[in-house]
Amino acid sequence: MSQAAEIQPSAADLATGRSDALARIVSLAYRVLLPSLPIILALGFGLYVPRVLSLENIVNIIQQASFLFVLTAAQTIVLLTRGLDLSLGPSVSMISVGSALVMTAILGPNAANGIVAALAGTAVGLALGLLVGLFNGIAVAWLRVNPFVTTLASMNICLGIGTSLSDGHPVFGIPDEFNVPGYRLHVLGMPVSIIYAIGVGVALHVLLQHTVVGRSFYVLGSNPRAAVVAGWPRRRLLALAYILSALLTAVGAIILTARAASGEPNLGGGLSLQTIAAAVIGGVSLSGGRGGLSSAVIGTFFITILSNGMNLASIGGYTQMLVMGAIVILAVALDRMGRVNA
Amino acid sequence: MSVISAQRPAIIERLSARLGVVGLIPLLLVLIVIGMTIFEPRFYGLPNLFNILRNTSFLAIMACGQMLVMIVGGMDLSVGVTAALASVIAAKVMATATETLGLDPGVAMVLGILVSLGSGAAVGLFNGLCSTLLRVPSLIVTLGTLSVVSGITLMMTSGIPVYGIPQDFITGFGRALWWGLPAPAYVAAGLVGAVWLMQRKTVLGTYIYAIGGNPLAAAVSGISVTAYLVLTFVFCALLASVTGLLITSQMGSGQTNLGGDRLMLLSIAAAVIGGTSLRGGIGRAEMVGLSALFLSTLTNALNLLRINSKKELVVLGLVVVAAVAIDSLGRGKAAVE
Repeated sequence: MSQAAEIQPSAADLATGRSDALARIVSLAYRVLLPSLPIILALGFGLYVPRVLSLENIVNIIQQASFLFVLTAAQTIVLLTRGLDLSLGPSVSMISVGSALVMTAILGPNAANGIVAALAGTAVGLALGLLVGLFNGIAVAWLRVNPFVTTLASMNICLGIGTSLSDGHPVFGIPDEFNVPGYRLHVLGMPVSIIYAIGVGVALHVLLQHTVVGRSFYVLGSNPRAAVVAGWPRRRLLALAYILSALLTAVGAIILTARAASGEPNLGGGLSLQTIAAAVIGGVSLSGGRGGLSSAVIGTFFITILSNGMNLASIGGYTQMLVMGAIVILAVALDRMGRVNA
Repeated sequence: MSVISAQRPAIIERLSARLGVVGLIPLLLVLIVIGMTIFEPRFYGLPNLFNILRNTSFLAIMACGQMLVMIVGGMDLSVGVTAALASVIAAKVMATATETLGLDPGVAMVLGILVSLGSGAAVGLFNGLCSTLLRVPSLIVTLGTLSVVSGITLMMTSGIPVYGIPQDFITGFGRALWWGLPAPAYVAAGLVGAVWLMQRKTVLGTYIYAIGGNPLAAAVSGISVTAYLVLTFVFCALLASVTGLLITSQMGSGQTNLGGDRLMLLSIAAAVIGGTSLRGGIGRAEMVGLSALFLSTLTNALNLLRINSKKELVVLGLVVVAAVAIDSLGRGKAAVE
């Protein structure tokens, strides 16, 4: 699939014999435009609905973006290795319900040991994430199952487990010891989720730019043969990418659970596709090896501002689906046109 | 590469090569059928067998389209919503033609079928043109189409089922028995057979394999790659629309969520379990039809054993990974890209 995605365009080139000049112009325009795209979008909405640019709404946008960013960062790690993770959304749901159930069980009727419950819930959430990562990593690296098929399967598995654990009902009664540090706390006047997102962003940047493991993810994506020839532990690195990604997903799931103040079996919903869309709009390549912190940030803000702006402009939900779909295709088309000679 | 394959015990490799997916599916199918004699005799009731046959028909048609797109190295996430669009449009056109325009039910049915197939072709054309001319990976194009088409379908209906389909279309076709078998089964057999013939006997089929196997070589040897890629996406969307029409004729109303994500996922699972390669160039209609039968039988058996639809998802996921893992381990050395 990923291979064909790479070859198809060149075959189409041969067939259509398109000129390079146009591509170069688009490329230049897109390189300059891409980073400012979310800002242009916000200003555009601001012209029609001034409320979009109010301080209150900007803080709101940043907070919304911080949740999506953590998950897009997780998706980006896997995309770099020429993989993708369709199980991200349902695993968010499963982790949310799983950790909430553990917390309510420990808490008991008199709600005495909230701190223990919160710690245990967090630990269980991370452990569930680790399990998903191990499943995906082992299937992709050692069983050689295509990442699309692997995560399609684990998506179904997580969906099944997430909805069976609590029979599809939300789990209420999560202790404040979990909700406050996870979501409600403000540090230096900023919602704590923004701090978490900044922490994840720094960690992602250090991992991808300054560690051998992180750099190797790029090579696994852009030239898997090179990794084999160089004698790297290709499989262990590939599995590690899925495990790190799933752990990051668990962090996102924990923050989202604290925000909802309950374990939600539908929390993940469309997040798999949303994170892929965000990453790709930001410039991550589906054929691996391209992208990083900046692409995750740009893509996340683009998607968040688009949906926030459409909400404030009272555009109906069905129209929003239509617009979102069309824009994803358009953004990627522009990006690919721009990259022909890059 | 030789270093990697040498690490693997030879026995596992030989065993999995022997069992390869092609041999495994009929075996598992027989196991389910035998197992059900012990656990749930109701499995053998005629209504249940017809039920399996109907679901197999719906799935096999859609999965054949999915397979064609996979052979050219693509992926179609929009098949489920395309089926839903076809369902809603067919119901709307049929209802309007009979109730408002007062046309003969027969004419209304033909009109409804044609318009809904046309809508499917339009979706396929859009997918094909975007993935070839705009050079967007088909995964992303069809992800976008998934969102766009479900937006359109919901706008048309607000999520409410569309009634007013002529009875002839429901009782005379969707729920009818022809020569003792459900009518959709004949449609499915005909379409899967047609795809099989196309793959085996026609130049078109050869071109589709060639493009998937090596697009550059195909282009250099003078095949109009763009045109055939677009055509493949149109085929896939048309087959998805037929599935939508068949389900509509059985349910008796136009449904915005008839296939939903479930049907899309099952179509990919059926294609992949049937041995279709996600890297393109490999895939056979008859194997995909067989794996559609396998998946429908499996889900039916799980239902009868009162394993609820949530736990069923877990089983389906494990089956898909196991089937594909055995397949790719069996192919051994070739599998490292």
